[in-house]
Amino acid sequence: MLQRLLLATLLTTGIATGITGQASAACAYRNTVALKTLSAGFDAWKAVTAAWAECGNVQSELDQEFRRKQPTAFAANPALYQIGGVANNTIVPLLNAGTIRPLDDLVAKYGQQLTPNQLIRVDGKIMAVAMMVNTQHFMYREDLLKELAIPVPTTWDEVLDASARIKASGKVQYPLGATMKPGFDISQEFINMFLGFGGVPVKADNTPSFNTEAGVKALTMMKAISAYMDPEFLTSESTFVARQFQQSKIAMSNLWASRAGSLESAAESQVVGKVVMAAAPAAMKGGKPATTLWWDGFVIAKNITDAEAEAAFRVAMEGIDEEMVKANNNTAVWLIKGYTPGRSAVGAIASAMAGAPNYPSTSAMGLVSAAAGESVADFMTGKKTAEKTLIDMEANYLLRAKEQGLVK
Amino acid sequence: MKPRTLALFVAPSAVLMLVFIALPLVLVAVQSLYATTLVREQISVETCTPGFLAQTCTTTMRSQVKLDPSGKQMSETVFSGLDAYRLVLRLDQLAGAFAPGGGGYDVVMAIDFWRALRFTLTFTVLTLPLVIGLGLVIALAVNSSLRAVRGPLVFVSLLPFIVTPVIGALAIRWLFVGDGILTAGLRLLLQSDISLFAQGWTIEILMLLYRVWHVAPFAFIIFYAGLQTLDRDAMESAIIDGASRFARLRYVVIPHLMPLVVFVALIHLMDAYRVFEEVVGFTSQAHRISLQWLTFSFLMPDETGNRSITRASASSMLTMIGIVILLIPLVVRVWRDHKPRG
Amino acid sequence: MQPEGPAALRLSFGLKAVVAVFLVGWCVVAMFPLVWITVMSFRAPVDALSSNPLVVLAGPVTLRTSGGLSVLDFGLAGATGVGLYWLARRYRGAVVGSLSLGGSRVIGGLLASAVAAVVGAVVVLWLLPTLSLRANQALAAVPGAGWLASPVIGMTLDHYRAVWVQHGFTRNFTNSMLVTCGVVTVSLSVGTLAGYGLARSGSRLAFWLLLAALVFRALPHSVLAAGYIPAFLNSRELLAPLWNAPASGWFFRLFADSPPLLYGQPMAIIIVLVSINQPFTIWMLRSFFQNIPTELDEAARVDGCSHFGAFYRAIMPVMWPGVITTGLFSFLLAYNDYLVTALLLDAQSMTMVPAITQFLNRDTRAADQIEAIAAAVSITAPLFLLVVAFQRQLVAGLTQGAVKG
Repeated sequence: MLQRLLLATLLTTGIATGITGQASAACAYRNTVALKTLSAGFDAWKAVTAAWAECGNVQSELDQEFRRKQPTAFAANPALYQIGGVANNTIVPLLNAGTIRPLDDLVAKYGQQLTPNQLIRVDGKIMAVAMMVNTQHFMYREDLLKELAIPVPTTWDEVLDASARIKASGKVQYPLGATMKPGFDISQEFINMFLGFGGVPVKADNTPSFNTEAGVKALTMMKAISAYMDPEFLTSESTFVARQFQQSKIAMSNLWASRAGSLESAAESQVVGKVVMAAAPAAMKGGKPATTLWWDGFVIAKNITDAEAEAAFRVAMEGIDEEMVKANNNTAVWLIKGYTPGRSAVGAIASAMAGAPNYPSTSAMGLVSAAAGESVADFMTGKKTAEKTLIDMEANYLLRAKEQGLVK
Repeated sequence: MKPRTLALFVAPSAVLMLVFIALPLVLVAVQSLYATTLVREQISVETCTPGFLAQTCTTTMRSQVKLDPSGKQMSETVFSGLDAYRLVLRLDQLAGAFAPGGGGYDVVMAIDFWRALRFTLTFTVLTLPLVIGLGLVIALAVNSSLRAVRGPLVFVSLLPFIVTPVIGALAIRWLFVGDGILTAGLRLLLQSDISLFAQGWTIEILMLLYRVWHVAPFAFIIFYAGLQTLDRDAMESAIIDGASRFARLRYVVIPHLMPLVVFVALIHLMDAYRVFEEVVGFTSQAHRISLQWLTFSFLMPDETGNRSITRASASSMLTMIGIVILLIPLVVRVWRDHKPRG
Repeated sequence: MQPEGPAALRLSFGLKAVVAVFLVGWCVVAMFPLVWITVMSFRAPVDALSSNPLVVLAGPVTLRTSGGLSVLDFGLAGATGVGLYWLARRYRGAVVGSLSLGGSRVIGGLLASAVAAVVGAVVVLWLLPTLSLRANQALAAVPGAGWLASPVIGMTLDHYRAVWVQHGFTRNFTNSMLVTCGVVTVSLSVGTLAGYGLARSGSRLAFWLLLAALVFRALPHSVLAAGYIPAFLNSRELLAPLWNAPASGWFFRLFADSPPLLYGQPMAIIIVLVSINQPFTIWMLRSFFQNIPTELDEAARVDGCSHFGAFYRAIMPVMWPGVITTGLFSFLLAYNDYLVTALLLDAQSMTMVPAITQFLNRDTRAADQIEAIAAAVSITAPLFLLVVAFQRQLVAGLTQGAVKG
């Protein structure tokens, strides 16, 4: 349903705003309240926070490790930040702790520009406003694949074949790149693969079920693809992989859409215009793409005065307006009116159309990610067998789930 | 000095240490014995998530944390005794490992705590003689150089020590990671496709060398200062006795510097045992972790915002016990030297 | 030049050569990483991240895109360096002498260092660039000498500009200075008293305090920080009783109407760092005071001074080498601290060292990484100056017994 609507709506808004959109002043709202924001640091956030700064009195902290600070900072009274950048996973601790405020009245008052689907509702209340979609999708060097007459892989087995051929050709140092740094990065690679092989990580009673056929297959596939990567893959995160692309060291990767923009920057990329996005490969033939769909957006803290919240919301609205999107059209796959889907959106749309699931915003999923982030590296280094890794991962999950009260 | 006067003199310092060191320590010890769990309830929630421009709303049963009337998360704290210690130490797996066919050493090294302990101890024990040895050699060399160049030599030798540890680690990492300049050089030299951050042992060597590079200057400056107070008479009489250069070093210089060696060893043991910056700076957690990093990783909120305070407390208490054991010989020495007179 | 002692102490030629080679090798190892990142910070990303060392050194892309240094510039820089060194040697004694207020050479030394830093900054940051610009323009017009003025090695200040101007690193610099100076001052004031007390007392209390300090010194900082975070974040509620209680309320209300939020407060960080640093400080100062003869303060006591009076009259004037040495270690601890400041300060009150990880954590472009390197070099520069200024006192203080084991 979502997927069919998707393309149509994207195209229509693109056309609609093409007619109406016209640049106005830098920031229509003059802010007088001191505001602080905390968000991730990738290009889209750089663009949005720069737009916020134009309203005056806004200090933005961009930090890829923001997820470690945010829960504590929002729990303080008064909260240390008024605006927080969040995604599917990072909103969970804030929701659990009840440190963000419902935005219904503010949206009604100042949010006319928002489309209904930008509103993240939890139990009927609007808790966050989304601005963009993000997903790990397949990025490849079109020129190299064409030159070697390799068809664009659609499954991970085909990626392995393609890697073998690219390696044999010696065109690039390593055929593949992946974000396999322990913690969040490697956990996402595992979850993508696990879901791709049809795994269901958590049962209805919140107990884990990693130690399944899908789990073993996912780990085995991760090991198989790692053979085609830089041997230092266990230290690599998105920035590192993007740089490998930029320096023409790798030919393919299942990388975050938010990083596509940096490959098109002439100042530092040697591959401008050569990298093309496609749907994430499926783990099994005929399966859904082995990836998840994410949204990024903002929340407003609860422990602040209503006046601050109002100012924060109005500033936030100015940052995600048409003007910003027009200026940064290819920086991200925006959900905002005025966005014209360009070539960088193709992969995300293709993944979504092919049925990639949304990343669940649940505590249980957070624990799956935490457990996988700590456990998978032991398998990759060869310290543990796949079965032992999965058993330990379940134990790790259960321990956390008990501390969280999810499992008795 | 009367105890009353002494108390006045040390009061500000003692109060600071009491409030900001002893108190947190007691809190941590207590925390390690209590387990806190959040109170949750199963509720049916309708969640709407955006795709791109269309929205999907799903109604699911989900466990939500209960909030009390003031909006705080509700939690229950129960006395859990030594459970947290058991979870960190994994004694059951440890016993199993040494049973027949249990897998032995490899199984032990698969448990985070023991892996961290192994690395921390190796790191501490291996860097200690290297730091003292290198520091001593630099001190002797600088001391025997021309007076005119001593100033600049001392300055340059001090640089690795004064540089911020995080920055030092980053500088080394930038030189070695990926196609870093020194890795490229090594590849050329060895004619092999070596990657220093791809396997544990190379990272470990790099971490050891970095620490020696960073701390040897501290040992150097202490020893160098000690050499300035070397008793000339003792030296001259040794020369008259016809002692060789090595004998003079062995019987005059080293004994003179011995208290300083103990001092440097003490400081270095403490600092090396809490190795942390290297793990962060070199992103080594997939291959090598240290005890303080383990505690730190428990403390960091996971993706649900939960900090494993109990396990962190237990692991830090275990870390404490370790350093106390390690320091016993040196503390005994300090005890003997500074025992209250009479 | 003084003679090098008795003949037997002199080294044979072979040994001399070994020592010289060793020292040169060590100096290279000690300096290389720092020199290299300094070079990288002046290059465009493509040059700086190149795996060919010659490219990093020469910076061809940087040269093409943002110009660079000419042979003339190197000459000017060399001449300035020599000139500054000569000035320092020639006038050091006179300046220190004339600035020694109240006859204290310590104050003279401190003020002279400040003057030197200001003069150096003006010359390097303003005079040299202006001069180089004019000279290059003038020389370029001279036929036959133009090659002297054309850039040969790429150099760009973009990253420094980005760090200091765009990202407001000055704020972090001010915070760093505030925290560091606070820690050094408080740490020394509190520590000197305690160190003196402990040195002059053989009592059981003194002994146990020293032993406790030794154990405290060994604690992992993450454990302590873990204890602070919840308290700092909830300080308003935790401290409220102090403000509300009739007995103490009036006192605390003198400072603030309501309890402060400690998280993100430089003042709170200062106290924490002082406490963490106390064990080391009191141990060092105690050993130092033990080396000051007891007769000195006993004589003052005979003259009718109290213990505090004796400390003030007899000990203060002679304690500076030890205090400066200890102060240097406090400075390094406060300036270099990462773990505590990163956990307990927010972005606005953050010191430079944790701020650099923000550069790395927002590192999504190659330029970001070079900016982080430029920030790293900026952080290291003041440490350089510090050691240049206090190297002599450091060695003197250590020699006089600040460290005895």
